Amino acid sequence: MTIDVSRRAVLKAQAAGIAAAVAGIPLPAGAQPIPGGVGTLDINWSKAPCRFCGTGCGVMVGVKDGQVVATHGDMRAEVNRGLNCVKGYFLSKIMYGADRLTTPLMRKRNGAYAKDGEFEPVSWDEAFDLMAAKAKETLKAKGPTALGMFGSGQWTIFEGYAATKLMRGGFRSNNLDPNARHCMASAAYAFMRTFGMDEPMGCYDDFEHADAFVLWGSNMAEMHPILWTRLADRRLGYEHVKVAVLSTFTHRSMDLADIPVIFKPGTDLAILNYIANHIIQSGRVNEDFVARHVVFQRAATDIGYGLRPEHELEMRATGAADPARTEPADFEAFKALVSEYTLERVSELSGVEPDFLVELAELYADPDRKVMSLWTMGFNQHVRGVWANQMLYNLHLLTGKISEPGNSPFSLTGQPSACGTAREVGTFAHRLPADLVVTNPEHRRHAEEIWKLPHGLLPAEIGYHAVQQDRMLKDGKLNWYWIQVNNNLQASPNDSQETYPGYRNPENFIVVSDAYPTVTALAADVILPAAMWVEKEGAYGNAERRTHVWHQLVTAKGEARSDLWQLMEFSRRFTTDEVWPEEILAAAPDYRGRTLFEVLYTNGNVDRFPLAEIDPEYENQEAKAFGFYVQKGLFEEYAAFGRGHGHDLAPYDRYHEERGLRWPVVDGEETRWRYREGHDPYVKAGEGLRFYGRPDGRAVILAAPYEPPAESPDDDFDLWLVTGRVLEHWHSGSMTMRVPELYRAFPGARVFMNADDARKRGLNQGAEVRVTSRRGEIRSRIETRGRNRMPRGVVFVPWFDASQLINKVTLDATDPISKQTDYKKCAVKIEAV
Amino acid sequence: MGQHMAEHGIHVVSSAVVSVVPGRREAVAAALAAVGGTEVCAAEGNKIVVVLEGAGRSEVGGRLLEIAGLDGVVSANMVFEHVEEDKGIPT
Repeated sequence: MTIDVSRRAVLKAQAAGIAAAVAGIPLPAGAQPIPGGVGTLDINWSKAPCRFCGTGCGVMVGVKDGQVVATHGDMRAEVNRGLNCVKGYFLSKIMYGADRLTTPLMRKRNGAYAKDGEFEPVSWDEAFDLMAAKAKETLKAKGPTALGMFGSGQWTIFEGYAATKLMRGGFRSNNLDPNARHCMASAAYAFMRTFGMDEPMGCYDDFEHADAFVLWGSNMAEMHPILWTRLADRRLGYEHVKVAVLSTFTHRSMDLADIPVIFKPGTDLAILNYIANHIIQSGRVNEDFVARHVVFQRAATDIGYGLRPEHELEMRATGAADPARTEPADFEAFKALVSEYTLERVSELSGVEPDFLVELAELYADPDRKVMSLWTMGFNQHVRGVWANQMLYNLHLLTGKISEPGNSPFSLTGQPSACGTAREVGTFAHRLPADLVVTNPEHRRHAEEIWKLPHGLLPAEIGYHAVQQDRMLKDGKLNWYWIQVNNNLQASPNDSQETYPGYRNPENFIVVSDAYPTVTALAADVILPAAMWVEKEGAYGNAERRTHVWHQLVTAKGEARSDLWQLMEFSRRFTTDEVWPEEILAAAPDYRGRTLFEVLYTNGNVDRFPLAEIDPEYENQEAKAFGFYVQKGLFEEYAAFGRGHGHDLAPYDRYHEERGLRWPVVDGEETRWRYREGHDPYVKAGEGLRFYGRPDGRAVILAAPYEPPAESPDDDFDLWLVTGRVLEHWHSGSMTMRVPELYRAFPGARVFMNADDARKRGLNQGAEVRVTSRRGEIRSRIETRGRNRMPRGVVFVPWFDASQLINKVTLDATDPISKQTDYKKCAVKIEAV
Repeated sequence: MGQHMAEHGIHVVSSAVVSVVPGRREAVAAALAAVGGTEVCAAEGNKIVVVLEGAGRSEVGGRLLEIAGLDGVVSANMVFEHVEEDKGIPT
């Protein structure tokens, strides 16, 4: 059957009309959309948040014959208002890569498990039986600290919550950390140290209110295209709006920069202190705001680089023993410290023209200009990342430009639930839900009460953070390790020296749950096939505190099961007598002989909601497997931590109706600007503004100096290496490299290099080279053109390409406070192959 | 861009909003007009509305990637998509 020409014209008019409405452009009369639109041809459409970055766009997911066949931007989603970036466009394909894992795999020789064997398909029972036997063996020999788990900001809220219960309440180990440690631990620590509460005070609505945008180490044009579009709409729609972009090289975001600032790696700290100095010297401190809402502290200095303690840099660092220490200070002490950061000195140190520095400083100093500061990995993956975050808050606090529409220091995130799961649920080695911490006895007691667990059960000692987990695996102190939804062997720093050896250490047993055979999965002993995204009911929390829930829309292929099912089903294989100490059971005998599944997940909270409450239109495999509405039960138990404490979530069912809600949700209303009277219900009438996360209601301005990177170029390794991402690929590329169109668009990593630097080494465009550091080397090809333009002395290599593992080259130096790796600064040399 | 396999019996009609660097709208619109299967439907301020047609989502998505990489383009985001199946649309 052929459709007539008029149908095609109708479709095109419809397409143009909707796009024009989204863009705010009037169409000629002949091209108006037809009311009611055209049919959708038997496709069932449901809402979900996107699977990729932390922006949290709403997408409509089209399902036909049990398969996701299309996705498009959700017009009703406030975040993206119908737009869909190029990665989002291909969402429907990420589940259908040819090498999708569909059965558990175990390394075997002669029919039995062997660490040096080859992968063979096994049943879930065989995989879980071996995992349980190995865990019990390890617990008996070495205790709970030899067990560990590495999770993710891609876990759904339920999965992260089930994992934290299993690890802390079940196995009594705090060796649980998310890959978000590599991503925004510095931001999270700085929020806690400055405001006493995690996550931004503002929201995306700030994009439409700001008069200036400053990007500190963020290439939003490629990494957050939808938010970049919102920023561009504001910049291009209002002449007075300015954009400053700070980076160590020129990238796509510089196209919109009124103030382009290319600085030498690490000197952003000095620039931040210069701006504070400029604000003070030009008399633009908001003295009333500072007097009422701020306290001053001074940071411990010379705090080292988070390397192994025997490293010479750690031995030399006088402040490495207690890097997070601060002491009270005052405005005069802060003023004296930043007074050393003069325009001349900072221009010299950073390599930035003085005029650009003054223009940049004036954006913050001008009391009539609302400023939104945005940052991602340039700030967070930084050996002084916590300081960098706090030094930026200093600028917003000195000027009072915070917690109101358009005045917004805003930390962007890279994973869909870095905030919702990794941070809010508390999957870091030191955290419990809703900003509670394992080191506080009251917090542990509170968690034990909500979880209905015996008092004294939860461990108090902070567990191993991500990089420390790798080191302890290598050193044989961490022996049983389960990795879910992340590709750490590709993502972790210095991985051929510090990560891979731990996975293959004969003393260790490694399990990886993933949808695809990543390099991490292939280095494991057991691989568990995971259901992903809309193959399960889920919930994510985006960068603006928005919690967004979706239904299961399709069924995963073969034997693949969600991480939630895996965690809960596995817990059935342990009884309390096997894993809890006798003194706990003696004091609480009712818990004797019960499975971890019973004490953690059928505790009267999690199993409270019957299957009948599930929308009959949708499948829910986990609920059917366990016999109750498990996602709702986990969510409601988790929500008990935050309700009444500034982290209020709405009743679960409401999230199925909304395109997400920004917490705290009080009396059914979401909160767009925290700490501000009239916007935040936790601020009482007459208070105006209150940083209620801290007992004194004040935020902290931190006096901290510039300190140099852990490793800088020298005669032997004469170039800075910066790693990062590209538009087409998401993180390690495990999903996007399997989408043919995205693969073709950017099939392999390249070394982006300055043309003069290349010429000096006799290297032409496209030449094959060896990139070598003191840790390792990779082979790649030179790119002197293309989207990134490098200054002399700096090269950029993206990390999405599993065939060029640039993290063999990087340095495992971390911020000593946040323990987040600095992937942006180490020294390499480049030679022709 | 590489060659795309046409998906059997499928015709896709999509629309996208392209944001451009100030002063580059005409140049980008001209470049878009030169991309096959792409029609500029409206342009105002720093935005251009395009309709993309092709014989499959791969082809249309590949073109969106190509557009996102054009000089002068700030961002290119898809808005609407209609997939017509098992019946042709005359071109």
